[in-house]
Amino acid sequence: MTGPVRIADLGGARAIILHRPHAVVTALTRQLQAVGLQVTTCWPELPAEALAADFVFFDADMGFDDQFPWDKGAAPMPMIALIGSEAPGRVEWALATGANAQVLKPVGDSGVYSALLIARHGFEARRTLAAEAADLRRRLGERQTVVRAVVQLMQTTGSEDAAYAALRAAAMDGRVGLEEAAARILSQPIRPVTKGTPR
Amino acid sequence: MKRTIPLGLLYSVTGSYARIGQACRTGALNAIAAINADTARQVAFDPLDRDPGGNIDLYAPLCDDILRHTTARHIIGCVTSWSRKEVIPTLEKHGGTLWYAVPYEGFEASDHVVYLHACPNQHLLPLLDWALPTYGKRGFLTGSNYIWGWEMNRLARDTIHAKGGEVLGERYLPLGSVDVARMIEEIRATAPDFILNSLIGPSSYAFLRALAELAARDPRFAPDRCPVLSCNMTECELADVGAAAEGLIAAGPYFRDGAGFGSSHEAAAYRAVIALADMLEQSPDTASLPLSALLDTPAGQRSGIDAKTHHTAQPALIAQVRGGAFQVVHNGGVRAGDPYLTGPAPSASVTRLRVIS
Repeated sequence: MTGPVRIADLGGARAIILHRPHAVVTALTRQLQAVGLQVTTCWPELPAEALAADFVFFDADMGFDDQFPWDKGAAPMPMIALIGSEAPGRVEWALATGANAQVLKPVGDSGVYSALLIARHGFEARRTLAAEAADLRRRLGERQTVVRAVVQLMQTTGSEDAAYAALRAAAMDGRVGLEEAAARILSQPIRPVTKGTPR
Repeated sequence: MKRTIPLGLLYSVTGSYARIGQACRTGALNAIAAINADTARQVAFDPLDRDPGGNIDLYAPLCDDILRHTTARHIIGCVTSWSRKEVIPTLEKHGGTLWYAVPYEGFEASDHVVYLHACPNQHLLPLLDWALPTYGKRGFLTGSNYIWGWEMNRLARDTIHAKGGEVLGERYLPLGSVDVARMIEEIRATAPDFILNSLIGPSSYAFLRALAELAARDPRFAPDRCPVLSCNMTECELADVGAAAEGLIAAGPYFRDGAGFGSSHEAAAYRAVIALADMLEQSPDTASLPLSALLDTPAGQRSGIDAKTHHTAQPALIAQVRGGAFQVVHNGGVRAGDPYLTGPAPSASVTRLRVIS
């Protein structure tokens, strides 16, 4: 997913830092507050209100699965890993936990703003793609419905091409997908189909 | 007996943007002279001059030289954002502070920098808020090929599009280049309602002269129909541009008013030194405090420097060069620095229009 990065809506956004008290937390908090976010710090568990947070920064060094009140990798907001040890095992855990971006420890003077933008961009892209994939999967599952509707329509239209055209016309008229139109046709008694029924 | 505190000055007083460095340095030195002459003050400053000569690769080494080999913890300096970003790691390493006295493109809030001039919500946005209804929504964007030009033009593009306007072209020149012919040709071909000029130094002077020549031949490009807008042009460069500056419109926190500061650069550098003196005045141990701790002292809290962003409130003035000097044509009010543009939007009153006579 490319295009301009969205910079709006960070003012007043809520960030949670899941890390034990440490200079890392101080430096992160300073940067986040300078950008205009509200910051809450907690360790070792995320409180229930974390579900309403806009960003979660989590410790990739000492973190563990039970800290998060959602299924692994299914965080409802962008996640940013705080990485000290770059050992492959910890990177793998951070990825499985749903990291959309990372900030390296020790945290210095900068790095948080770009991490926020990259994490949000990646999170939204992932969510959009997941929704598209679910829709495509659902439509794939309806292949048989479409085939049955075309076969039924052939009885009145005479040819496969005309049947398919009639199905498309019905979908456009009803402003629904091909699969939904097919399901509607199959649910109705058989009748002649007219092309382009006026709305 | 005054405590004498060394104070670094890191300005290029030679090189392509020397005029701005000289203006800032003048402001800093005038403030240092005032502090040193003030018998009521506990502190005096000993300026340590370093001149990178406009060479980007000399900023970090010279900053390091000041912080490593002297007891100075504070440096007034840098003009380009590129040079500021070059010295930040060095400041971080030594716990030093940079006092930065020129306008910049925002999206930064270093723990080691105080930003004393305007950022986009204080210059570019008020300028466009005023200029689009006044001149039209079709803009042409120019800039020097580094972060200032890129980011100013990105923000301008977004803002112009959000207001239903159009960007007719966007062109960059390398720092120091005076090869403006192609830009001018594109501007002639597209005939925009205004030009946003984020070129710096000699590139900017050459551009303004070439555009004035075009306007002399074709009145569609005269300042009343196609003005040049700028967020970095001040009095300190007017002499370099000469008559071609006539009609130029600039946004800034200060424009020369009688016998006051020569430019907003000079004013901001002066303000930096005075604010620092006020903080160091409080007790001898303030000399070794990091910026965050200094801002937490009573004088720090009174300084007007925001503890979270290290930015300062600035008047959003818009001025036009008339008869060789800037005249304020619109006052957008005082605005807090909002480097990430995450603060509340300014109230409607600040976009109030005033007809230019």
